[in-house]
Amino acid sequence: MSYQIDEQKIFNSGHAACPGCSEALAIRFIINTLGSDAIAVVPPSCIAIISGPQPLSSMRIPVYQTTLEASAASAAGIKRALLSKGNDHTNVVAIAGDGGTYDIGFQALSAAAERNEDIIYICLDNEGYMNTGSQKSSATPSRAYTTSTPAGKLTPKKNMAAIMAAHNIPYMATATTGYPDDLARKVARAMKIKGGLRFIVVLTPCLTGWGIPDNAGPKVSRLAVESGVFPLYEVENGQSYTLNYGPKGLPVADYVTRQKRYRHLSAEDIEFIQKEVDQNWERLQVKF
Amino acid sequence: MAGIESRVPSIWTTGWTDILNTGTWRNAIAVHQKRPAPCHGGCPVDGEIPVWVQQVRNEDFKAAWETLVENNPLPAVIGRTCHRPCEGVCNRAEYDGAVSINALEQYVGDLAIRKGWVFPVPPIELDQHVAVIGGGPAGLSCAYQLRRKGFRVTLFDANPELGGVLRYGVPEYRLPKKTVAAETRRIVDLGVNVISGQKLTGKDLGKIEQEYSAIFIAFGAHRPKSLPQFPDDADRVLDGIAFLRSVRLGSPAELGQKVVVIGGGSVAMDVAGSALRLGRQAEIIALEGREVMPAPEDEIEDVVAEGVRLIDGAMVKTVEAISKSLRLHCIKVKLDPDTPIGVIRPLEVSGTEFTLEADTVILAVGQDPELADWEDQVRVAKGMVEIDADYRTSRQGIFAAGDVASAERFVSTAVGEGRKAANSIAQYLGQPPALRDVTAIGAAQEPDVAFADINTFYFPPRDRSERDKVAAEVRKASFAEIRLGLTDEQALVQATRCFSCGACLECDNCVYFCPDMAIVKDSTSPLYYKVLEQYCKGCGCCLEECPRGAMGVREETK
Repeated sequence: MSYQIDEQKIFNSGHAACPGCSEALAIRFIINTLGSDAIAVVPPSCIAIISGPQPLSSMRIPVYQTTLEASAASAAGIKRALLSKGNDHTNVVAIAGDGGTYDIGFQALSAAAERNEDIIYICLDNEGYMNTGSQKSSATPSRAYTTSTPAGKLTPKKNMAAIMAAHNIPYMATATTGYPDDLARKVARAMKIKGGLRFIVVLTPCLTGWGIPDNAGPKVSRLAVESGVFPLYEVENGQSYTLNYGPKGLPVADYVTRQKRYRHLSAEDIEFIQKEVDQNWERLQVKF
Repeated sequence: MAGIESRVPSIWTTGWTDILNTGTWRNAIAVHQKRPAPCHGGCPVDGEIPVWVQQVRNEDFKAAWETLVENNPLPAVIGRTCHRPCEGVCNRAEYDGAVSINALEQYVGDLAIRKGWVFPVPPIELDQHVAVIGGGPAGLSCAYQLRRKGFRVTLFDANPELGGVLRYGVPEYRLPKKTVAAETRRIVDLGVNVISGQKLTGKDLGKIEQEYSAIFIAFGAHRPKSLPQFPDDADRVLDGIAFLRSVRLGSPAELGQKVVVIGGGSVAMDVAGSALRLGRQAEIIALEGREVMPAPEDEIEDVVAEGVRLIDGAMVKTVEAISKSLRLHCIKVKLDPDTPIGVIRPLEVSGTEFTLEADTVILAVGQDPELADWEDQVRVAKGMVEIDADYRTSRQGIFAAGDVASAERFVSTAVGEGRKAANSIAQYLGQPPALRDVTAIGAAQEPDVAFADINTFYFPPRDRSERDKVAAEVRKASFAEIRLGLTDEQALVQATRCFSCGACLECDNCVYFCPDMAIVKDSTSPLYYKVLEQYCKGCGCCLEECPRGAMGVREETK
């Protein structure tokens, strides 16, 4: 098997992401699929760092850096401005981290989804405030270490995919960097469905925050899928579910033991996570 | 107001990040490289296995055959008889079973025979004339390689037909005569002068030396080893090689109803399988335990399934003649683990004595070269013609290989040695060393691709499927070939299973998984890609995501 991905050269080399950064890899397939007729909106995050130190840019499209809580609102505003100028073709995409999506930008996003704004919103989810040195967000999963959950997080990850699907938006998808063709296809699909909010949450392992080697991002992201931690699926109009890559029966231990953020786990902790993952999958499975 | 506006630039972004030099961050850089596959290292003929298997996968069968016959002119034969060290070291063995390389080789070899593919005429004709003595696997291989280089070659063989052990040893049900004939014919058609039915002896050497520029000795090993406990009783104690030959010649030696075969190698299995097909009851006594017997496990499995009784880890102590039959007094043994490599010392397990009755005993405990009249011509050591690393004997211009000079008794090893000896002979006769042998030495410095270098995500599990075999009940009733070749579909599945270790197939994973877009396709590079040194941060994702270990890393010190 080999990948065939149609890329436009919008994302530049020379950006400031860490060596092996999965977020940069995700941005590559997002931006290069969106093409030149697009405007990006980015809140404070690693994405803002990667998009370029002023006055240079790594993206050959206009990028607007907004405030942490306002990505969806800013994107919606830009889209409406374009429409009022008679431009109905340019895609406006907000690319935000999990902090800017699950926590701080949540109100603006939910409101934009409720108004069904004609934008694409992509969350690069690395399960914490990694840009500021790894604090927990509501995307941090159970038992994971962050500097603000030193003994492991006690509550589970917020299910953003389910929340966004429940807004009955035209398109909601989960993706990850270990499946680049799937990610690029979902971005292309989101572009095609116009006239409403399209949301993609992309699991992007953070090498430093998760404690994995520089070369392991894609591999760990695939383990997340194959162990059932992060199934890849799509939902159209809040009701039509399609599974792309589901669990392959791999124990969750194969996933967590590769990451230093889980190295304090006991066998019982792993068993606890396994149960949680199994339950989530059971709940999701019935929808396909 | 006007003053404030003038401080705001009309364009905030003045350029792109690709002017930055993020390559300075790294301490190691990814490099594309061709690395050796373990199967290649394990192959007795140095076959380019990953190359021809991919050619099969691309359904370019003629090219696959041409790659195969670079090193081995007998793929249909070796595809049936090789002991398959390649499959033993195949990285896929650790995953879901080795690729059925041997079956694929047979598939390509058989296809070539069906299609009537022939070897190209040698590009040049040289005056030098080489005599090859012995038309078995080593002699055929050497004659073929020498002819391809343009030498005149005369092949002497004692038997009426060429093939040696292939024609007169291995039984029909494992290697059909017509296959041997087709592949030897093709070598002869290359312009090899054959003088068959004439056994040369050491005394003829002087005369041949006068007429030929070089001589290659490869007449094999035909003198059976004997065991002192068996009486010199030609009616009831037979030699395995002579028996197989009699079967091959169509007039099998007389056998009693109960046959006991002594030995644990391929010959013993062939003898037992042949006796069974002649309607006899057969038992095998092997000194070694089944797992360490010299015969490959599948050959043992075959005869056992057909109804041969295997008694492993046992030996015959004494033999008693009773009326028409022999009574064998046997005992179970364990092999002494403290002996040096190559030496077998059985230790009797007391209290495990048993007896067997046999109408005929067939000894298949190995054979030595017949060197009685050669000893005063070339130096002989340990019962074999002594050769150096370049297959030279003690006498100038005379080379030797195969069973006559080696204790490694495998047909594919003989084919490999024949090829290497041909290269030595060519060098002796003033030809430059073959280029690929020179490059092979360079490539060998890179370590073999290991299973850990394979990214198995890109290879969905797919069970190893071997050639189908005729059901044991049916096959034991005749000498018809027992292994059915792969079907077209099976062959393609096998070829697809190959990881292609260390040999890039241009899947572009290294391009796609680079977060820095630092790898680009480069059609001018023999390795297909170029790493952009300005941007590569040295993360190693490309190495990790390369499915087949065709990338390495070069450390950089600044």
